[in-house]
Order: sequence, then structure tokens, then C-alpha cells
Amino acid sequence: MSTLWDFLLKYSRWFLFTFYVVVSCILLFDTNPYQHYVWMTSAGRVTSAIYGVAANVTSYFHLHDINEDLQRRTADLELEVIGLRNQLRAMNEKVYADSLAHDSVMQPFDFIIAHVISNSVSRTHNYITIEKGRLDSVRPEMGVVDQNGVVGIVNVVGDHSARVISLLNPKMRLSCKVKGRDYFGSLVWDGRNPGEAVLEEMPRHERFRKGDTIVTSGYSAVFPEGIPVGTIISHEKEHDDNFYALRIRLLTDFSTLSTVRVIANDMRQELDSLTAGEENDSRTNP
Amino acid sequence: MTKTAIQFTILYIVLALAQAIVFNNVCLFGAAVPFVFIYVIIRLPMTLAVNWVLTIGFTLGLVVDIFSDTQGMNSLACTLLAMARRPILHLYFPREDELTMPEPSIRSLGPEIYGRYLFTMVLFYCTAIFLIEAFSLFDPLRIMLRVICSTFLTFLLLLGLDSVISRGS
Repeated sequence: MSTLWDFLLKYSRWFLFTFYVVVSCILLFDTNPYQHYVWMTSAGRVTSAIYGVAANVTSYFHLHDINEDLQRRTADLELEVIGLRNQLRAMNEKVYADSLAHDSVMQPFDFIIAHVISNSVSRTHNYITIEKGRLDSVRPEMGVVDQNGVVGIVNVVGDHSARVISLLNPKMRLSCKVKGRDYFGSLVWDGRNPGEAVLEEMPRHERFRKGDTIVTSGYSAVFPEGIPVGTIISHEKEHDDNFYALRIRLLTDFSTLSTVRVIANDMRQELDSLTAGEENDSRTNP
Repeated sequence: MTKTAIQFTILYIVLALAQAIVFNNVCLFGAAVPFVFIYVIIRLPMTLAVNWVLTIGFTLGLVVDIFSDTQGMNSLACTLLAMARRPILHLYFPREDELTMPEPSIRSLGPEIYGRYLFTMVLFYCTAIFLIEAFSLFDPLRIMLRVICSTFLTFLLLLGLDSVISRGS
């Protein structure tokens, strides 16, 4: 105890000096704004550096819990995204339906709006697949159009999807006529250019002008009359000299098909029953 | 209380008041500020215990601080000065026991040595106070300018003051 006391007495000046310096510093840093600011910011910098290192180390301890939480959240979010996407698709369909022009031609027809899920334009025989099927009231032999023009005819129907023969398929022939006239011919794709088709069997005595619109003739149970198909580019001579062949630029852009309408024709059953009756007649009355 | 103690008390009070009332408002050319009150610390007798020197220095600085609204700056600088007094004197006057008078003055040390001692003390104090006040090395040239100008001004004033007091005693 006495050595401690001696030590304290011997270095008393230093203790006193330190004490006075500390008191002065407290006064200095507390009351003068600039010194206060410097003190606080430097102290803050030092503490933040140390806390940063400590936090880095301790963050590893909670990784397991954070991981679980994140997985749960991700699963919830994914479900929500799927739900929202479905909603968005439904809204898009509604918007699409609202934006359709009211053709007087199309009034007696009902539409089923469908999305194209598979398409091709580069093969020799092209088919389109849509995501509506039997359960959505799609039947074979229904016509398919989009806002620009004719797309094709429904071929095979499943429960939730259907296959459509594209217009870009030589197996499909569409009966068309020049708008405003009554001369009709048969539109077929020649396999060369996906934006062009050939309208064959047009009578030779008729005069045709470039740019005239070609529409469906209505001579079918599938498409009503007056649906635009294309415009005339040029005419070419057919091997049969009595008939013209016209090169048509198709209005439908097959490479960007996304949403189409399937024409639900209420008249079809009636028409079919009429033709069925004809067949029965020919059978019974040879 | 001995005669020297009374003398020193009067000196303390007078110089502190003079600094607060008169010399704090002097700022020659925007750079030089006189610090006359440090004369008390410079003149303290060498026989006095260091603890007392420290205490007197601290309180002197504190009083001047309170008057000039710069809490802590002068007290810190005065404490440092009080601590540095003995080493600085040893720098110029190694044989301390040969002092004729216990207080360092022109009379006891001779003009050259006293001049050096005074100059060093004043320089030390001015550097300390301006660095504490700026608390950064922003614009170091300005700080240096103020230090040098204030040192010269204070040195001249204290030289004059010392000759007056020495002739008086």
C-alpha cells in the first residue's frame, strides 16, 4: 500500500496533468460545435468500423434460419406470380375483345378467344395449336381468324387444346372473292413466301387492279362472307388459259400470331343437317 | 500569504481581465492576436511544485475561456504550456540552481536566454491554441500565418511587460 502511495506521489504531476487535459477536452468537445462535430464523426467512424467487422462475423450464425425463411418466401412469391399472370391474361383477353371492330358481318357469330401456343411458317405444311379445346366449346371445322384476317380452320380438338390448319398449308383452300364484285376463286398457298398466297380460278374476262381487297366469299359453312383476306399484288398466267391466277399479299402476319378468335357458327349445325339430308336423299334415290 | 504570492495573485487577476476586456478584441491585420495572460505561467517561480504550476495554468486558461466563450481551448493549451515550462527552460538554461531569482525574467536569466525562453514559450502556446481552435489541417497556411503573427505580437508585448515589472520589483 505504501509503495502504491509512493508511486502515486512520485508521478502526481502526470496524473494531475492528465486530469486537467481530460477536463479541458470534455469542455472543448462538448461546448464548441466544430470540435463536437469532429469528435462525434470520428468516434462514429471508428465505432462503425468495429461494428461492421463484428456484424460480419455474427451474421454467419443466423444463416440457417434466414435460408429457411427465404425459401418459404420464394415459394409464396412464385405462387403469387402465377396467379397474377393468369389474371393478366384474362384481362388481356377482355381488352382484346373490347377492341374488336363491330362488323355487321360478324354479328351473328360468337367468338372464342384463344392464345396461340405453337406456330410455324417455314415448313411446307404449317399447323397452329391453340390453348382452347372441347371443354371451351371449340369443335372441328370451326374457322379461326385474328384482327387482321383469316388464320385457318380447326382440325383436331382435344380437351384443352386444338390444332388448326394454317392458311399456309396447301391442304387448305379458301373460297374468296374480290370485294365489291361477285367473282370468286380459290385461295391456296404455294409454299414459297409466308406473306403471299395465290388466288386461282378467277375468270379471265374480269379486270383486276393492284391493291384491291380480297375477302371471303361466304360460300362455306366455316367463314362468313366479307372477312378480309389479302390484297392483290399482281396477276400471273395459270397453265389453264381460261383462268387467271392472282398473287395476293396476306393481311394476316403469320409469324407474329399470338391471339386469335375461333368463330362459333350457330348456323353450322343447321347447314350440316341440310347437306346431310342431301346425302341421304342421294342414297335413297339413286 | 507571502509577498510573491500576493504579487502573483494580483498579476493573475489583472492579466486575465486585461486579456478578456482589451486584448481579446485586438486582431492586427486579421491575423495577429495577443495572448498576454500567459505571462503568469512564464513568470511562475521555478521552485514552485509542478502540480501547483499545472493547477494555476489550468485555472487561468479556464477563466480566460469563460470570458471569451471558447470553453476548453485555452485551458487545454495552458495546461500543456505549464507542463512544458520546465523542459523548455532546461533547453536554454541547463544549470537551474544558478538562478539568482526564482522567477525567470530578464534580470535573472539575461536578455538573450530569456528572449529565447520567452519566444519558445509563446510559440508553443500560439501553435497549441490555433491548432486546437482549427482542429483540422484545413488551410494550413492560414494557421501558420496566424501562429507566426500572434507569436511576434505577443512576444513583443510580453518583453515590454517583463521589463516594466522587473524594473518595478
